[in-house]
Amino acid sequence: MATHHANAVLPDEPEKATLEGKNKILGFWLFLGGETVLFGSLFATFIALRDQVNGGPTGQELFELPLVASATLLLLTSSMTAVMATQALHKKNLKQIQVWLTITVLLGLGFLGLEIYEFTHYVHEGHKISSSAFGSAFYTLVGFHGGHVAFGILWIILLQVSATKKGLTVVTAPKFYLASLYWHFIDVVWVFIFTVVYLMGMIGGKVG
Amino acid sequence: MGAHAEEGVRKPKVKHDGPKRHVVAFIGSLVLTALAFVAVAYDVIPSGFTVPFIIVLAFVQALFQLFVWMHMDQKGHEFARISIFAGLFVILMVVIVFVLWVWI
Repeated sequence: MATHHANAVLPDEPEKATLEGKNKILGFWLFLGGETVLFGSLFATFIALRDQVNGGPTGQELFELPLVASATLLLLTSSMTAVMATQALHKKNLKQIQVWLTITVLLGLGFLGLEIYEFTHYVHEGHKISSSAFGSAFYTLVGFHGGHVAFGILWIILLQVSATKKGLTVVTAPKFYLASLYWHFIDVVWVFIFTVVYLMGMIGGKVG
Repeated sequence: MGAHAEEGVRKPKVKHDGPKRHVVAFIGSLVLTALAFVAVAYDVIPSGFTVPFIIVLAFVQALFQLFVWMHMDQKGHEFARISIFAGLFVILMVVIVFVLWVWI
């Protein structure tokens, strides 16, 4: 009986219904603040070292805008579908949450696939993590972001699996909300990566 | 058991404005991204202005997503704002120091 009415008694904004849920969200924002600093230091290192190519290929010679644009489109759309999952969470509709998160995961996998293709292509062109300061800074920054994407995909898949057993409750709702926040944060970081690494890399030569 | 009769029919306490503003944020992000790519791919603006232009676009898009998609515009997110803006402050310091000071 209690499980049958579980959805009817689920409060509005179930992710903030318990103190534990509220604390999780609070703690997660602190974590995101730390992540900001982590990526910021990687960005600062990359900006400072991006011209030190050590005789290897420059960003302008390596980067291809259509590839970066496709990766950007995939990740931006996946952030949109993650927001739709949160909307479904507020409607307390687990089925919709699962559908939107599945699309998010698929788009994320597409993004990762493009990134893996891109990295192997660069290595063949002689742009390696050990070949120059530019290479080290590039792979550390972009690779760290790709690692975050991979972790996010794994996290969301595990959440989806556990939700098929546990359903949507005040315990599982904060987890969905946080996974969605994390995914948006990854997209925000990517906005700066495509701007600073790729677009600024393309015009590096023009500004001199 | 614990479910009261009025619980099932009560009106939602929290109003959600639905997916509209999120779709607007998505289209806004798409437009800002497209602008940045076009500005770099085709020489539509003077080359000296391109870098500041795309950086401003990136910040606008990031704030868009932080405030709309990550709900930082809603109340109860004071701590989130402190967290993110403190992080941004540290980033700006590090970028300025690294670029202007360390590796000249």
